[in-house]
Amino acid sequence: MKIFFRVVVSLSVFTTSLSVIAEDFLIKNATIHTASKQGVLSSTDIYVSDGFIMQVAKNISLKSKHTLIDATGKHITPGLINASTQLGLVEIGAAASTVDYSTKNEQQGASFNIAPALNFRSTLIPQNRINGLTRAIVRPAGGTSIFHGQGSAITLLSERQGAVSEQVAQYASYGIAGANISGGSRASAYSVLDKALDEANYLRHNRNQYKPGFVWNFSQSLQDLDALKAVLEKKIPLVISVHRSDDIMQMIALAKKHSIRLIIAGASEAWMVANQIARAKVPVIMDPILNLPDSFESLSIRLDAAAILNDAGVKLAFTGVDWQSTHNAYLVRQSAGNAVAYGMPAEDAIKAITINTAEIFGIKNYGQISVGMETDIVVWDGDPLELTTNADVVLIKGNNQPLVSRATRLRDRYWDLKDIQNKAFTR
Amino acid sequence: MDKIELRSILIFMSKRLLSSFVLIAGLSACTPESNGEKKIIRKESPFPSTYQAVKAESFVIEHATVLTGTGKQLDDASVLVENGKIKVVGNNIYVPPETKRFDASGKWVTPGIIDVHSHLGVYSSPGIESTQDGNEMTAPVTAEVWAEHSVWTQDPGMQLALAGGVTTFQVLPGSGNLIGGRGVTLKNVFARSVQAMKFPDAPHSLKMACGENPKRFYGSKGRSPSTRMGNVAGYRAAWIEAEAYRETWDKYYESLGSKKEKDKPKKDLNLETLAEVLRGNILVHNHCYRAEEMLVMIDIAKEFNYKISAFHHAVEAYKVADVLAKENICSAMWADWWGFKHEAFDQVRENAAMVENAKACAIIHSDSAIGIQHLNQEAAKAMAAGNKNGLSLEPKTVISWITSNAAKAIGIDDKTGSLEENKMADIVVWSHNPFSIYARAEKVFIDGALMYDRNDRSKQPVSDFDLGITDPQGERL
Repeated sequence: MKIFFRVVVSLSVFTTSLSVIAEDFLIKNATIHTASKQGVLSSTDIYVSDGFIMQVAKNISLKSKHTLIDATGKHITPGLINASTQLGLVEIGAAASTVDYSTKNEQQGASFNIAPALNFRSTLIPQNRINGLTRAIVRPAGGTSIFHGQGSAITLLSERQGAVSEQVAQYASYGIAGANISGGSRASAYSVLDKALDEANYLRHNRNQYKPGFVWNFSQSLQDLDALKAVLEKKIPLVISVHRSDDIMQMIALAKKHSIRLIIAGASEAWMVANQIARAKVPVIMDPILNLPDSFESLSIRLDAAAILNDAGVKLAFTGVDWQSTHNAYLVRQSAGNAVAYGMPAEDAIKAITINTAEIFGIKNYGQISVGMETDIVVWDGDPLELTTNADVVLIKGNNQPLVSRATRLRDRYWDLKDIQNKAFTR
Repeated sequence: MDKIELRSILIFMSKRLLSSFVLIAGLSACTPESNGEKKIIRKESPFPSTYQAVKAESFVIEHATVLTGTGKQLDDASVLVENGKIKVVGNNIYVPPETKRFDASGKWVTPGIIDVHSHLGVYSSPGIESTQDGNEMTAPVTAEVWAEHSVWTQDPGMQLALAGGVTTFQVLPGSGNLIGGRGVTLKNVFARSVQAMKFPDAPHSLKMACGENPKRFYGSKGRSPSTRMGNVAGYRAAWIEAEAYRETWDKYYESLGSKKEKDKPKKDLNLETLAEVLRGNILVHNHCYRAEEMLVMIDIAKEFNYKISAFHHAVEAYKVADVLAKENICSAMWADWWGFKHEAFDQVRENAAMVENAKACAIIHSDSAIGIQHLNQEAAKAMAAGNKNGLSLEPKTVISWITSNAAKAIGIDDKTGSLEENKMADIVVWSHNPFSIYARAEKVFIDGALMYDRNDRSKQPVSDFDLGITDPQGERL
């Protein structure tokens, strides 16, 4: 059954007029950054039906009913994804009542699953969506355990239905943050991580002994150790925030010892051990704009780190920009652009904000402009990495998204400052 | 007769004793005549600038696209620099023989980038306990502290900012206090002392802060201010004291040389700073997000007869851009930061563009050691957001947001911030249009001296901190 939806006609790019119920889209004559082996396709069309990409080719013509989008002179990318956000878990950073990304509940470390707390009515979702972000990885932040808990992959829709993949990754920290929570030393942090993984491994093979009432003596709660089972079974990756090059090597060794899928996040000095990371086939989540030696574990951070890692064959997924990676998660595009300004090939950078993130977190049917993918499509009014470029059309799951957010409503209310007394009636 | 601060007495004299004093320009000690009897010995402010421009030969940058900072874009133009100053900017200019020539075909040239809101040197990198020197949060009014006394000149963030084209930055105290202390404007040069970085003759600033930060911090200590109304009472109480202090000193100055010479009052560092604001010698830079708080601050400024130079952060400037234009107050803004506090919830991406469109003074600032490296990118986003909504802002205008408007707000627009004859030759040569993501500063000149060259490692400064920090034989980068 096809999905029916209402087309918003405020955009001049639509050749249809007034509200129509449309099922299919035909996007004509675009420069398409496919984020696939196809690379960039010029003057190419995309046929979208039932929320999926049906055809990518030149000169597609359709006899069936469709909405035409003329993308002449415009660029298309998959809807963007940010690999590390807290979208849906915070409205106002300094207002604790609006923040759900961490817990002080000591029973919840690895078992802390943020998914139930996700708020799809958050103002952050439309603000990011209208700027071209259609997906995000949502992660917990550190609470009282070195394990932060389980993240979700979300689609930036304003309702939850079909928009959440829960428990796509487990999170932990090492380095300074891990040390702080483990007693003050990296050595303690290493021991806590190592022991927890050993215990979780023991428990998953001896789980039937541990019934309610059984006296147990593990370093973590039973539910936390149970939550690590998915990591040990390689169903989900363990994302460890770690910066110093030696610390990164320790975590690679730890992952090898426990035979788990590791993703390195933060990764300030990863470029120094790029070849080792590539050989270990460990993906890296990073914000390429960060180059400040803001701690003693990030001394060697630099703007061409993404280019160096990419050249070495490391799979990169980007976040950013800077500390605004949740409220302005869409600015991961700016971070990617900086990676390109400092040497990374543009199409590789676009992969790092689309398909690479999808792959390392196991998100299916998203991340490329190719047949069979869901229609996360953004039509940009210029080079998709340029800051002077804006999104003209955002399609998510076959729905054309109105380019409206609370911020655009405020903008429109105050666009002219005449007749200020009547602003209350300006909607 | 004791030494007193020159700036104070010049202003004092200009208001009270106009005809009987000869006003002396310059900042060295001097002895102008008074009513004929006593001599007044004046001394410049303590911690004077010892900045000296690096000596440099004359040069011309040719075939560049030049954004002058005065609202003009010149294509295939030249910038001639002599003795550290801009000599001529234009097409087909006369270039004396022997002048060193830089071919900038395909490249763009702008004034040096200026950040009006930096904490480089006071919240230095790496950020550890020992580098938290930006906020004297021991009392809500600490006008006695000067940011320059916290500056660590070896903050490795300074060289990174230089590679982003930043030639001048204002270092401010933090925003935890109602009145946080004096800010200082620095040239982005390597130096052993902060004095050797101080921008010559730049006025000090006074950092004030509205809203959540002071009330949250002091409220949590169980003391005033704990509310926004407490904030306002705090500012006004401080200004009332400052007025009385100024009057005491003014009367003392007035008595000098007369038969009823008064005893010299005791100096108070806190009130001295505030009195200097009232005398017009220190510029007020006011951290303030919300529209209604900005308008309250404007009324306080009117009550005590001082001028607000700029509202910093100014997330809601777009709501009151007409008032800000009328009052001639700059708005220093981020392109898009929002949501970290309630008072930052109403940010719109078009904020700076809407301020510009209202013919008010728009500035893009960083408040960040990352952001300061990319002020051109931040301005680009703010420009593009406005243009997408129907404006036609061009690079020739928008470059002012990070150059000449910034210079105006910190009181150095007569010296730098634009490419005009006799201005300091603070210049950036960009690889592309500076509003492109691909643009990188290739050459950065300060007072005509090449202080950074992306293509010449020997012209890339490294801080003391950077030396041998990760490799005993190398530098950090």
